[in-house]
Amino acid sequence: MPEEPAYSSAEEPQLVEWAKSGDMQAFEELVARYRDRIYVRAYSIMRNEDLAVDLSQNAWVKAWQRLEQFHGEASFPTWLSRIVTNLCLDELRRQKRARMDSIEAMEEATGPVENRMELETVDPIEGLGREELRERIDAALAKLSDKHRTVIVLYEFEQFEYREIAEKMGTSIGTVMSRLFYARKRMASLLKETLKRDGLIE
Amino acid sequence: MNENETRLKIQALVDGELTGREAEELRARLESDGGLRALHARLTAVRGLMAGAELPRTLPESGDFHWSQISQAIGHGEREARRLAKPALGANWLLRWVMPLAGVACLVLVLSLQQTTMPDLNILLSGDHELEFTADEIDVMTFNTGDDAMSIVWLDYSIDLQQDSLQLWLD
Repeated sequence: MPEEPAYSSAEEPQLVEWAKSGDMQAFEELVARYRDRIYVRAYSIMRNEDLAVDLSQNAWVKAWQRLEQFHGEASFPTWLSRIVTNLCLDELRRQKRARMDSIEAMEEATGPVENRMELETVDPIEGLGREELRERIDAALAKLSDKHRTVIVLYEFEQFEYREIAEKMGTSIGTVMSRLFYARKRMASLLKETLKRDGLIE
Repeated sequence: MNENETRLKIQALVDGELTGREAEELRARLESDGGLRALHARLTAVRGLMAGAELPRTLPESGDFHWSQISQAIGHGEREARRLAKPALGANWLLRWVMPLAGVACLVLVLSLQQTTMPDLNILLSGDHELEFTADEIDVMTFNTGDDAMSIVWLDYSIDLQQDSLQLWLD
């Protein structure tokens, strides 16, 4: 009887090759290695635990179905991350169709108050550790609207270019730039607020 | 360039999305405009804060994420793909071509059998005559195909009829 491959110690490209040839155990190992990472991306966009779990699970099923299309141009987790991001954007579009995003739409059309505010100067690194800062950034992200959070996640975390974000979100580059500017301004304002509240800055 | 455009272009410069002559011109403006320089610095600071700031998380233990669900969904997807692929090669082809042809062949066969086996009763049937048979004297088979909107009814009345009784029914 042939010896079973050592999945847990195998290199990622080897696991991908095995999975491509139909080896479910190799795929299971890839799931074990990257499931948290894919979940994090889904959660960053959706801000909903159950949805993030469902979407990351769906992303793994899609990944298996499309394995033949993976040729290693990007790393395997990056490729997976793109799949889950696309699923999240589809879900946001579906949700948007289901409910009128009227307040946000009105704000964008008329220009919200924040558009007339100055971009805050925030340099809180001295007062905070990196982990604590991440938590505060995460809390601020949760307060953004779906479209502003999405544009930040796609640009800062997923590292898409403006053009790619515009394609993914079905909008113009100008709108992406405008949303990104507003999102950053809002993030700066939210961060400053929380740091002030905690007495970390004047 | 209005104020809003300028802000967005400075952001593009910070993000490395503005290149060439446009980038050069904006850099030149930054040198002479303190307000724009301050905006550039603030945007750079926010960008610096956000870089790599995605909070690491682990899948919730109590959540529904399980390998068994993924493998089940994969298995279901593959079965579904096979099910959809199969009729295209087999059943669809059968329904589209073989079944109708078989129906036509049956009809031709019935007609040719009628020619050879029907007793010559010397009865001329006009169009308004109806034939009546009792259920035990006749076998009826029907074949319907929805795709071709066609129904074939196969009447088998090769029974021993007496000429006089048939004449009686045909008046």
